[in-house]
Amino acid sequence: MNEAAAPQLELHGVTKRFGGVAAVDSVTFQIAKGEIVGIIGPNGAGKTTLLNCISGVHRLDGGDIKWEGVSIAGMPSYRIAKLGIGRTFQIVRPFGSMTVRENAAVGALFGNASGRRAPRAAFELADQVLELVGLKAKASLPVSALTIPDRKRLEVARAVAARPHLLLLDEVMAGLNNVEIDEALDMVRAVHATGVTVLLIEHVMRVIIGVCRRAIVLEGGHVLAQGEPEVVLRDERVIQAYLGERFAKRLKS
Amino acid sequence: MIARAASIDRWRRLFVIVGAILVAYALLAPITSLDAAQSANVPLLADRLWFRIATIIAMFVVMATAWNIIGGITGYAAFGNVAFFGIGAYTTGMLVAKAKWPFLVALPLAPVVAAAFAALVGLPLLRLRGHYFAVASLGVGVAVGELVQNIDYNGQPVFGGASGLFLPIFAIDNRGLFFFYLMVAVAAVAIAVTWRVLRSRFGYGLIAIRENEEAAAVLGVNTTAYKVAAFALAAALTGLAGGIFSQWNVFINQDNAFPIEYNVQMILMALLGGTGTVFGPAAGAVLLQLLIQFLGGSLPISVDIPFVSVDARPIVAQVILGVLLVVVVIFVPRGVIDFFGGSSRLSWSYLRQSLRETSL
Repeated sequence: MNEAAAPQLELHGVTKRFGGVAAVDSVTFQIAKGEIVGIIGPNGAGKTTLLNCISGVHRLDGGDIKWEGVSIAGMPSYRIAKLGIGRTFQIVRPFGSMTVRENAAVGALFGNASGRRAPRAAFELADQVLELVGLKAKASLPVSALTIPDRKRLEVARAVAARPHLLLLDEVMAGLNNVEIDEALDMVRAVHATGVTVLLIEHVMRVIIGVCRRAIVLEGGHVLAQGEPEVVLRDERVIQAYLGERFAKRLKS
Repeated sequence: MIARAASIDRWRRLFVIVGAILVAYALLAPITSLDAAQSANVPLLADRLWFRIATIIAMFVVMATAWNIIGGITGYAAFGNVAFFGIGAYTTGMLVAKAKWPFLVALPLAPVVAAAFAALVGLPLLRLRGHYFAVASLGVGVAVGELVQNIDYNGQPVFGGASGLFLPIFAIDNRGLFFFYLMVAVAAVAIAVTWRVLRSRFGYGLIAIRENEEAAAVLGVNTTAYKVAAFALAAALTGLAGGIFSQWNVFINQDNAFPIEYNVQMILMALLGGTGTVFGPAAGAVLLQLLIQFLGGSLPISVDIPFVSVDARPIVAQVILGVLLVVVVIFVPRGVIDFFGGSSRLSWSYLRQSLRETSL
């Protein structure tokens, strides 16, 4: 048995319906430990729904999700978090009454069950994580004093402080300008370098090409293509999904 | 600017010192009524009527501080906490009156039964959010009182029915003083518990639930267990106050063990003092209960309210409380305790900021 080669996360026929609409429709893919994988797709492709399925926010309507060989389908969010799967939200959800440091400390107090910290140690870890994401100077500020890019950083910091083995990032770069994207990319690379597997949803192609070694394209709830980002993004079906048939033809000619 | 901040700082220090002196007076003055003190010619600093009121104030400190754990820290506006007070009162009351248990043995069961009940109803109730939870908890509060009064077995009321429940008098010297200090001790426990909770993982989990429940869950907070635990903790403290009340008052019935107005009063106290803080609800309880007693005309210092007869004063007191609730929610959303938090709190800009935060 080769333990290292076994996938860390396996999705098998994952399906989620809202009423009659299948937002995610039998999605199957695997992620190996230490990978950094991007999920792209047009609006409404089911990217966030898929993340919600993995993190237990949504119940599956079909299929199975396995974490290190064990099914996590149907588990409540907090138990999935305890296993070491962390996530951020596309629309940031800071704890508004807390300081930046306290927000990060909540991640350290809870999160991954192996190595939950007592308050004092949690605040120490929070400081380290805030340094990693570049928020150290603003640690004692209330969340309301943060700019949008900083709030996105805080969202990542809180998830990282939970010491996940797998981090799900939902469009942490959306709405950032080019300089801020570069900083955010460095941040993601830094987190990945600490040994965390990363699965990120992103609209910005530069991000996918910049950090991911593998990209999965979703469209209409299905996996349209997957593989190396440069190859996938040249795939005709992918261009069609994004730009429509006419543009795809024009681009070819 | 700096001079102004310094002067506000002086004011704050003055408030704290005056407050500490008043608390010390309230706690120590009743001792002068002891026979030993009187025979030693110590001047009487507090008569028995006064420390009856002081016991009631301490009781509300417990209830407001306990409500703060579920309502203030966890953000679930429980409107039926009086159920736990009544359950605590009837638990101790039944054990003392019917099972003939000694009071001090029966008392510890009051918080246990109240907490168990809170856990039981909390599991379904705490799935509701916002006003749905508030209304449902209010329903539970009313229902429990009705059940206690109306449950019959073989044609006999189980819990004393409409005529209430009489307890044998607790035989101890200086009974009034004993119950005053017992209630104050429980108030101190409630405040200490809050202080401890706010510094613990448990407390951070509760605040995270208040601020964003879904974000808390994906960070690994077992939201259901935490909410139920907070509800049960609040119930235990409230039930303990109820248990003491039953023996202190010797007589309990639906009216005095399940008064619906307590629901509103404990919330108003927490809001007035400052929800989510350690001392806010206690400060609010003291201020508001003094006001209630003053308006009701039972304080030694009293003024006539123009155009209001003595009989109508309790009703007028309720009206004034209602107006106060509106004023507090609009103008001091973070409670009076917040005035002690920073240097610029006693200013127009603070008031404007508060108004902005509470209006849409």
